[in-house]
Amino acid sequence: MMNKSICIVFNKAPYGSQAGRELLDIALMAAAFDMPITALFVEQGVYQLLKGQEPDILDIKNHSATFKALPLYGIEDILVEEDALQKFNLNVQELVEIDGLKTISSSHAQSLLANSDFILTL
Amino acid sequence: MATYSLLVTANPYSSQGQLSAIQFAKTLLEQGHELMRVFFYADGVLVASRLHAPPADEINLTKAWAKLAIEKDIELIACVTAANKRGIVNVAEAERNALTGNNLDPAFEISGLGQLTEAMLNSDRLITFG
Repeated sequence: MMNKSICIVFNKAPYGSQAGRELLDIALMAAAFDMPITALFVEQGVYQLLKGQEPDILDIKNHSATFKALPLYGIEDILVEEDALQKFNLNVQELVEIDGLKTISSSHAQSLLANSDFILTL
Repeated sequence: MATYSLLVTANPYSSQGQLSAIQFAKTLLEQGHELMRVFFYADGVLVASRLHAPPADEINLTKAWAKLAIEKDIELIACVTAANKRGIVNVAEAERNALTGNNLDPAFEISGLGQLTEAMLNSDRLITFG
């Protein structure tokens, strides 16, 4: 059977909702099944990767460090939408350091979505 | 004809997502497609409680899912982590966590996120209702 590809789309800022953490759990589990997985960060989802998060002062568990472990789980396509970074006046240096993280254009993100077997977002 | 699975994350009664998912499931079966599994995640797991008591003239979403599952032999699976933290527990989880009761409706099963990945591997499409 051909391995089906999954694109997991992070589009919400962390902590106001648990969407980021719950998608991350899906990503880590799906990685164990040897399916090609892309983690795509768009819109406010780029805030998921911001360095120096301290949600513990809100009594919320910090999941941002777990993104760094994605390559260890075999998830090597970690893509951040350039337009989103620009829109929120962020740059790659302000994001947690993940091996292989790349920025991509919105049109590239769109074609990626069009070519994925499954798209997951919360 | 295609094989579908559903991912349901909508909070029952607060939003239309669960209702839409049930209607979608019924329709795809009527049209001759297959429904492999319905996976409940995030707030969607709340529907797996057998203790909902909506007013008599409103739909009971738990019973609506259960009817579909029994009549059409469909797996209803709630994520264990999402369910436990929201107070949806079966007998085993209640014992494991030393809780005083359990509330999982018998039409539903508690299992892990691996069941969601497996649903994708074995379905042509996964549709999310959030």
